[in-house]
Amino acid sequence: MTGNAEDLELKERLTLIETMIAEGRRTTESWGWTFVLWGVAYYVAIAWANWGRPNLAWPVTMIAASILTGILASRNAAKRPETTVGRAMMAIWLAMGISTFAVMMSLGMSGRLDLHNSVAIIGAMLGAANATSSIILKWKMQFVCAVVWWASAVAACFASDSVTSVVFLAAIFFCQIVFGIYGMIAQSRKQKAARAGQGVSHA
Amino acid sequence: MPELPKLNPVIHGKLRLALLSLLTGVEEAEFTWLRSKTGSTDGNLGAQLLKLEEAGYIAVKKKFVQRKPQTLYRMTEAGRRALTDYVVALKQLLGGAIGD
Repeated sequence: MTGNAEDLELKERLTLIETMIAEGRRTTESWGWTFVLWGVAYYVAIAWANWGRPNLAWPVTMIAASILTGILASRNAAKRPETTVGRAMMAIWLAMGISTFAVMMSLGMSGRLDLHNSVAIIGAMLGAANATSSIILKWKMQFVCAVVWWASAVAACFASDSVTSVVFLAAIFFCQIVFGIYGMIAQSRKQKAARAGQGVSHA
Repeated sequence: MPELPKLNPVIHGKLRLALLSLLTGVEEAEFTWLRSKTGSTDGNLGAQLLKLEEAGYIAVKKKFVQRKPQTLYRMTEAGRRALTDYVVALKQLLGGAIGD
């Protein structure tokens, strides 16, 4: 059999493989900023709809937020490798966004859009997207967000106008702003830890 | 007594092993990303990537993104098989020493 020094060397190789595989997979989690961006976009749309032009507020804000997300995401994507998990995440949020936009626009144009059905649809869609993402990423905090969104969707079906509004504003605050900032802090800590443990500079 | 397996010398190099392991988790990766993950120099990284490419373990693609050149690397099927074989051989060599 091999000697102790050789065993140690081989064990180091095994650890290196495990560390690098984990490092390669840890590349799709820096999306905290998108939650904050969309949280701010929802607040802008709500404020604009209440005090300005309700017909324009949501479509314009959502399209602007989509374009901004696309630009910032493509800049980030150039620095990161493409992963299957990353593409799965993009697919979930893109499909959710298109579905929500199509339904909301159709309801708006047909004159059937109101506070209750819009909060119910947005809550259900965001609940589904957050839940799917949390299961794939094994991120419990995101599943809590999914539950909050589902609760707001259910509440919108039964509660009064004022309660529905408060629930929606609170859900945006916790699931977009607070969760987004938490995600950004968690990612920055992970990056610092990864940088501290790096260095395989020789052949 | 069964014969002990030999470790693939192309993969056994620390940096080459790290590069192949990194590429298992991604579909394709850029040169600068690989450099940041391994902490190696441009010259050393380029030389080791070339060895892996010559062995047929990785494939290289060059493209332009926002007018800037990008070199992308991805693991080939042969590379994946070679790394799997390497891990199996490594575990056989270590035998009972794993988990000590």
